[in-house]
Amino acid sequence: MKLTVKLALGTALATMALPALAQDYGKFDGYTLRVKLIGGAQYEPLYAEIPKWEAATGAKVEIVSSKNHFELDKEIKQDIAAGTLDWCVGSNHTSFAPQYGDIYIDLNGVIAAEVIADFVPLAISQSTVNDRLVQLPRHSDVSNLFYQKSLYEDDAKKAEFKTKYGYDLAPPETWVQVKDQAIFFSNPPDFYGFQFVGKDEAVNGRFYEMLVANGGAMFDDKWNPTFNSAAGVEALQFFVDLYAAKAVPVGVPNYTWDDTGLGFASGSIALNLDWGGWSTFFNDPANSKVAGNVGLIRAPKGSGGKRTGWAGSHTFSITEGCDNKDAAASFVTFLTSYDNQMVEARKGLLPTRTKVWDDAIAEFEGAGNAFSAEVMKTFQTSMAEDAFTPPLIPEWIEVSNVMWPKLQAAIVGDMTAQEALDAAQAEAAVIMKDAGYN
Amino acid sequence: MTVSVESGVSKQAKKVALWLTTFLLMLVMCLPGLWVVLSAFRPNREILAKPPVWVPEDLTLDNFGKIFGFGAEQVGIPVGSYFTNSLIIALTSTVIALIIGVAGGYAFARYRFRFKGGIFLGLMLFRAVPGIALSLPVFMMWSRLGLVDTKMGLIIVYVSLNVPFTIWLIDGFFRQIPPALSEAAQVDGCTRWQAFWKIEFPLAKSGIAAAGVFAFLTSWNEFALASQLTRSTDSKTLPVGLLDFTAQFTIDWAGMCAMAVIIIIPALILTFIVQKHLIAGLTFGGVKG
Amino acid sequence: MIRALTTRRSEMAPFLLLLPAIATMLFVVALPLVFSLWTSLTPYKLTKPNTLYDFIGLTNYIRIFGDWDFWAAFLRTIAFLTVALNVEFALGLGIALLINKITWGQRTLRTIMMFPMMFSPILVGFQFKFLFNDHIGVVNNALQSLGLTDQAIPWLVDANLAMFSITLAEVWMSTSVFAILLLAGLFAMPRDPLEAARVDGCNSWQVFRHITLPFLMPFAYIAMAIRSLDVARAYDLVAVMTDGGPAGRTELLWTLIARTGYDEAKMGQANAMAYVSTILSVLFTWYFYRKLVAARRYMGGVE
Repeated sequence: MKLTVKLALGTALATMALPALAQDYGKFDGYTLRVKLIGGAQYEPLYAEIPKWEAATGAKVEIVSSKNHFELDKEIKQDIAAGTLDWCVGSNHTSFAPQYGDIYIDLNGVIAAEVIADFVPLAISQSTVNDRLVQLPRHSDVSNLFYQKSLYEDDAKKAEFKTKYGYDLAPPETWVQVKDQAIFFSNPPDFYGFQFVGKDEAVNGRFYEMLVANGGAMFDDKWNPTFNSAAGVEALQFFVDLYAAKAVPVGVPNYTWDDTGLGFASGSIALNLDWGGWSTFFNDPANSKVAGNVGLIRAPKGSGGKRTGWAGSHTFSITEGCDNKDAAASFVTFLTSYDNQMVEARKGLLPTRTKVWDDAIAEFEGAGNAFSAEVMKTFQTSMAEDAFTPPLIPEWIEVSNVMWPKLQAAIVGDMTAQEALDAAQAEAAVIMKDAGYN
Repeated sequence: MTVSVESGVSKQAKKVALWLTTFLLMLVMCLPGLWVVLSAFRPNREILAKPPVWVPEDLTLDNFGKIFGFGAEQVGIPVGSYFTNSLIIALTSTVIALIIGVAGGYAFARYRFRFKGGIFLGLMLFRAVPGIALSLPVFMMWSRLGLVDTKMGLIIVYVSLNVPFTIWLIDGFFRQIPPALSEAAQVDGCTRWQAFWKIEFPLAKSGIAAAGVFAFLTSWNEFALASQLTRSTDSKTLPVGLLDFTAQFTIDWAGMCAMAVIIIIPALILTFIVQKHLIAGLTFGGVKG
Repeated sequence: MIRALTTRRSEMAPFLLLLPAIATMLFVVALPLVFSLWTSLTPYKLTKPNTLYDFIGLTNYIRIFGDWDFWAAFLRTIAFLTVALNVEFALGLGIALLINKITWGQRTLRTIMMFPMMFSPILVGFQFKFLFNDHIGVVNNALQSLGLTDQAIPWLVDANLAMFSITLAEVWMSTSVFAILLLAGLFAMPRDPLEAARVDGCNSWQVFRHITLPFLMPFAYIAMAIRSLDVARAYDLVAVMTDGGPAGRTELLWTLIARTGYDEAKMGQANAMAYVSTILSVLFTWYFYRKLVAARRYMGGVE
């Protein structure tokens, strides 16, 4: 509300000289806004737009830090520890945000309600921690199933599959089908039907979404860990079975996102559950052998009838200690504006504004880029219908860190799925108790 | 006559064989590194492939284009400022560490004083503290002092990383220069300082060059502390910049390799240049007689 | 009178010469260590700055000493250091002896020898992670293309192979350091005793064993000690290659500390572990230093 008032005032007084941005961002002459932005080649195109905001508002932007999210996470924790939160705007992420307590302000009331209303409602609700909108989403991430189209067009394979499994070979609708097809396609060590990330928070995220898709839950209403339920064992067993059947590369327990992405691009993986950010890479002949042969479908369903949809959003937050919250709000609004989300959507990032989804798809179709249009459509549906975040509690990372070594132990055969989950559950229960739940 | 010619030839052959063996051995040792260098000139498609592509089909400069922002990519990586930062930080910290180290090494090699062994050992043991144990406390102190994300902040840390082993190396080299040389000069009327500067320092050049190369390479390649203490283009160094090729879920390995080449080449050139001085200096052992 | 003054001045001189070195180390290392000692006695969480002031005594230490995972990481770290340092020394010595014999093009060979030293540990981590990728990595591709195996070897997953792989990466990164230091020692070697021994009819092995090697030992221990100062930089490499996994099979003290301290923000507990790892590193360095002093005595040198 405050911002709109200010904007109205700004409009009244503004000279007409500046090259018009679609929106008026206010006037902050001589002010220097200190920001920490996630760095990396994928994210730079947006920052190239910043001079437009500087020209419009008269403010200067000083990028005091630019790192990837894991490094930025460390840095923000150091800032909290050292009391050096002397900057205004920071890149944030829905999965990291709950850890930071109340260092960031509630954006409700600071960013105009009309602006917030233009965003995908689910993305906004996932950016909300304890009823506070601590971040404004920049772009979203969710995984869908990439596959090699040619594998499903081979008549001999189709017939062979039908006799073996009793149903038609088509891109899988359920995770049970994924398992069948993965085993069917695999020819180790040259070709594998599937792969998954096997370490860090990544494997835990994959387990977690499978747990939810199978109808289970991480915690009950009182925050007791319940992931060692039957649904949990079934979820973990999926990974264990694929590993034992050599339907995934034997190195997966050490894989992170770079390994799975590069693996699928190498053309020797049939099905790959992966993030939207890879789609451009997969379809680029310079980077990928499967370019032109990439199919995409919504993530399959688990035994609970729900699709997997572990999701998160890259976001921007404003610090509590910021000395010019209006300028900060204006900047965050600018970075997530329609025009700028279009800039990022053209590069393949998934937008968070409803209109950008539609317009980006239309633009890709208009340009004859059927692949990108298809990718956008698929991800639009899953972001609207399937996406869910990990539990938005500060203890999530800590719980995750006791879980994933146990998940790995089950995958490599050191423990059964039930033993591994029971052991992880016991440790998680201690953490939750120490943190003062139940 | 013929016998000696024959033995000469076989000596020559032996030499060539030895050289070739050594060269091949070095080459094998370098293979994992050469793979990175080669990858810098290949598209991602060919580097990590199944089935593998052994003979490069497509050599390209595109990966460098991604860094410098030419070609299809308009937005590069601020490699210019990373490079300048790295150079300033590595050179300055090396020079300071050498000055402090030569002074300290000389003190250990030439003087007898109380607590000598204890002080020497103490300096070394402080260096043995793992960076991971220091990263947070150093960060907290640096942030109070306003040294976070400054070149000076990193220079101070690197000086402390390099001083102990500079002292150690230089102490060792000074020990091998007979004190008689400097004493003779002092008898001839030189001051101790003149004797050091005219006689001992030139002889210790090799030690200083070696220590300098080590200090430079340590600072040039250091990652763990730099990633904690740097934040923006004001101070980020090249190794920290490598992570610009990773995003949350993606990595551009070919781009990273191209960046690696940019990091390696100056270090390699410097090492090669200093090798000459090393050769000149290292033979000083013969002076001792 | 004049004599007394000079003595006084020369007594002060070494301390003045050492002052900058001591000041640097106290400022950058000792002071932070005092701070981290304090945090290890608190339940300090990075994200809750106020916890810095709750004194809880030795609770963190008691907790980690009662944790089998901690001891496993501790022992694994010792094994890793012992194996890596010895292999690096042996290989480095071999390379130094070989290059020492070369008379032509030695400068180039020496530069080539130092090539791995140009690689930042973080880069070495990524490099070996991709080389050892079981599926699209160069190592397995080569073995399969050469027909040596038809399996995908799980370099970074199998309990023994994973430790082998990170040790190999560490050895690759650091052998050059040994080689160059030992080569420097060989160069500094006086020729007379060697020739005298040859005249006396010693064979190459005897010369090496009784003259070259004893002379080299101080250099070897300097190299060992200098490397032991810096071993913790292997953390960067392990963090990228396996980050202690899978299922804790390659967990070293450093990966455990980093995860506890930063990911979980439990800095108090992490610093308690960091103290243990500090003591471990200090002991390694101390050990090689004693050896160095003994070797110098053996040679009849000063101290």
